[in-house]
Amino acid sequence: MIVKLKVNGEIRSADVSPETTLLKLLREHLNLTGAKLGCDVGDCGTCTVIVDGKSVNSCLMLAGRASGREVTTIEGLASSEQLHPLQETFEELGALQCGFCGPGMIISAKALLDKNPEPTVFEVRDALSGNLCRCTGYTKIIEAVLDAGRIMSTAEAKS
Amino acid sequence: MATKTKEVLESKVKDSEIEDLTAPDNLKVPAKPALKPVVVPVDKPVVYPLDLPESEIRLRTPAVGQRASRPDGRLHGLGQTQYIDDMTFPHMIFAKILRSEHAHAKILSIDTSEAETMPGVLATLTGAEIPVNSFGPTLQDQPVLANEIVRHAGDGVAAVAALTEQQASDALSKIKVKYKPLPAVFDPLEAIKDDAPKVHAPRSNIYASKTIKKGDVEKALKKSDQVFHKQFKTQMVEHVPLEPHSSVAMWDANGRVTIYSSLGRITLGRDDLARTLGKPMNKIRLVGTIVGGNFGGKNEITTEPILAILSKKTGRPVKGTFTRGDEFISSTTRHPFVMDYTTGVKKDGQILGRKIRLVLDGGSYCSWTSTTLGKGGILAAGPYDIANLLVEAHAVYTNKTTTGAMRGFGAPQVCFAYESHMDDMAHALGIDPLEMRLRNAFNEGSVSPTGQLLQSVAIKESLQQAAERFGWKESTK
Amino acid sequence: MKKRGRGMACMWYPIGFTVAANPSAATVKVNTDGTATLLTGTVETGQGALTVLGQIAAEALGIATDDVHVVSADTDTTPMDTGAIASRTTYVTGNAVIKAAEQAREILFEAAAPMLNVKPEQLEARDRKIQVLGFPQQYKTIGEVAHHSEIVIGRPAIGSGSYNPPTVEMDPETGQGKPFSTYVYATQIADVEVDDETGEVEVLRIVAAHDCGTPINPMLVEGQIQGGISMGVGFALQEEILFKDGKQVNPNLTNYIMPTSLDMPELEVEMVDNYDPTGPFGAKGAGEPTAVPTAAAIMNAIYDAVGVRITSLPATSEKVLSAILEQKAA
Repeated sequence: MIVKLKVNGEIRSADVSPETTLLKLLREHLNLTGAKLGCDVGDCGTCTVIVDGKSVNSCLMLAGRASGREVTTIEGLASSEQLHPLQETFEELGALQCGFCGPGMIISAKALLDKNPEPTVFEVRDALSGNLCRCTGYTKIIEAVLDAGRIMSTAEAKS
Repeated sequence: MATKTKEVLESKVKDSEIEDLTAPDNLKVPAKPALKPVVVPVDKPVVYPLDLPESEIRLRTPAVGQRASRPDGRLHGLGQTQYIDDMTFPHMIFAKILRSEHAHAKILSIDTSEAETMPGVLATLTGAEIPVNSFGPTLQDQPVLANEIVRHAGDGVAAVAALTEQQASDALSKIKVKYKPLPAVFDPLEAIKDDAPKVHAPRSNIYASKTIKKGDVEKALKKSDQVFHKQFKTQMVEHVPLEPHSSVAMWDANGRVTIYSSLGRITLGRDDLARTLGKPMNKIRLVGTIVGGNFGGKNEITTEPILAILSKKTGRPVKGTFTRGDEFISSTTRHPFVMDYTTGVKKDGQILGRKIRLVLDGGSYCSWTSTTLGKGGILAAGPYDIANLLVEAHAVYTNKTTTGAMRGFGAPQVCFAYESHMDDMAHALGIDPLEMRLRNAFNEGSVSPTGQLLQSVAIKESLQQAAERFGWKESTK
Repeated sequence: MKKRGRGMACMWYPIGFTVAANPSAATVKVNTDGTATLLTGTVETGQGALTVLGQIAAEALGIATDDVHVVSADTDTTPMDTGAIASRTTYVTGNAVIKAAEQAREILFEAAAPMLNVKPEQLEARDRKIQVLGFPQQYKTIGEVAHHSEIVIGRPAIGSGSYNPPTVEMDPETGQGKPFSTYVYATQIADVEVDDETGEVEVLRIVAAHDCGTPINPMLVEGQIQGGISMGVGFALQEEILFKDGKQVNPNLTNYIMPTSLDMPELEVEMVDNYDPTGPFGAKGAGEPTAVPTAAAIMNAIYDAVGVRITSLPATSEKVLSAILEQKAA
């Protein structure tokens, strides 16, 4: 079956078998390997992408269900001039260690900040609760999300 | 079934941009009309800044002590770090491993013939085909693929390589293994008994022991004002690296094999590969990338020799990535400990003597158990000056998941015991837990349980610093 | 009713293997512009090893972190290393990196000495310069010297070195010996709340003070401590592989519960000021020990809150509640 969807602002399509997940479509057919396969059953969050503004586990969504929708992956966050504020603060604070949870973590954080640029610590913890990290204890990740939120809301206030 | 990508080009590629690459434009000869224009696939590359100014901290001298950001951090955030599972190679195929459902059984036969006829299957492998079918960092007691006896539910018994992961998984169900179940033992205290089923018959289940003796512990306990005893137990824990184990092996025409692996120790990994494959070390290239979490669980080979042989059999790169289930049942785990502590103290809190017995659930294979036993035993008395000490530690085989290295090599287990025990004694003696520790803690120049003169000791400083930051004195009830 | 309690635990932990040789080797190549490349056979597994090793090489050469590019983890090209295990990388590989960098630096000193009309032993490498000890205004940039050494003299500034921590075999009967070169020390204190009707334990705050010798990169050390504590919280309260008839019953992340962002307490992390003369620039290590005292501190805090001693991990709600009920019955 042909699946046609918008990925990071570009219309893409691929011919996939019906049981193909959105994660497989992204990784194997569109060469977007930022989203990871960590458990394949929606427990770990390493495959998180944004579909129509909401963060989803792409390992649980069939590619067919993403047809006609707008998908944002980690590869769609930076521009050729600058990193996304989340990418900046995660790097500066050393928020990631092995980095495997990073793309999913940053995407979940983006989904939160897009709706709520000034979240409380609890709102950040809650938004990231589906993204497991084994290295960092989440401490610097939470700080980085709060910092990025501040950068984003200041930028918004200025514009 | 996953089909190969057929990129349908969208409006990004307009007809005018489709070049006829068969007609070089410096020749004025018109192209043959029969030839179709060649469509160059346009895969818009990922966008990211290519020349960001470097953070000022990374440019400072002196370098030591700086909160410098990590060069891999930016790539992590962009999703550009290449972990093994993100790599593909031309003609790459996929391997899956069939695992034992039995905790202890004799393998009577393995029949892969039907699996070999399944769609997409290019090769199968059993342990009998592996040149040296054993490995392990201390004792080489673990088969790469079990072919005589399975010793825990999770032992690999056969492997399949196929065009897709799904085809490889489907073919596993067609492999017929006949088992004769054997009596199994799961509790380390049962396994230690003489009449327990032997995990590695005819060898004893106790496969490593360590004794540390200092002074005269019996005399010290007699001289003590009070003697405390308690048993502590810990559980089996999984490392849970977010990245499951993954490797790709490819054999070349010079007989060299290159393996990309999520191993944290490539030097030892190559040694093990040379041994299991029966090849000279210079014919093996082992490459690590950024490992997506280790914590001790990626310190020995797992599927690498299997993938290497399947690559040789098929002439293709072979990738093998653990499922989360494989990660739990077939990788190593943290040792459960049974710990008996007996400690004699004076009324003022001074520890006069301590007797410890540790029994480690060593699981089905040795892995890093000897190291865990050694470190656990040496550290078991805690960071305290104790003149009279006896530590006896034993590692025992059981028919459970292999226990191995995990962040702390036994230290988290014994620390749970010695520090719980310390508080029990402090409460019984009416001494503040901080004070109780300060009265017994090492000083610079203290002698360790193994008779080592200690230097750069900072235990009292750490106690005081943490207590101050916490507000320990202020929060005393 | 929810009851508060606090508990402390301290620990010691060794760096490197128990007696067994666990060497590391390294190669440092100084480029003709004064930047450098470090070759190491260790593997980055998330802890920041390559950043730290790069900082150590930079320090020894007197250049900045960003001046050193680190190549790692390829048996065809990088020197042997015992690997990312036993909290050994900063100390053992770090010492090897210093030796390699010092060898390269010696070549630079020998090239610079005639340029500055002094003896090589009168030179130091600092702030990207080779300068005369006590007379920092007399200098050549490292780039100038490296270029001169390689292009004019014909002696590229390359060094190699290896290190193995000194140990003494343990007596098989008594265990007496020197199994490790050095140890680190730490204390963690937990503040918890225990619901005495459900047995549920919430860890509110953990204060940690860890000795790692000189922190080569304090930000990365903090990350290690925070991550180690999260693993300790899981070990203390949640994680357990369960078996039935020898088969795991929860081999998945649905039923094997590990800490999420909602389970983490507030962390206050400090480093204890210390310097180990045997370590690279006084450093020891920070990887594993961070996960060691957490569970003990939490168990002591549970005791302080509700007066029950948990003797087997993990302290699940059911286990804590049944201990509370048993105590009430007694």
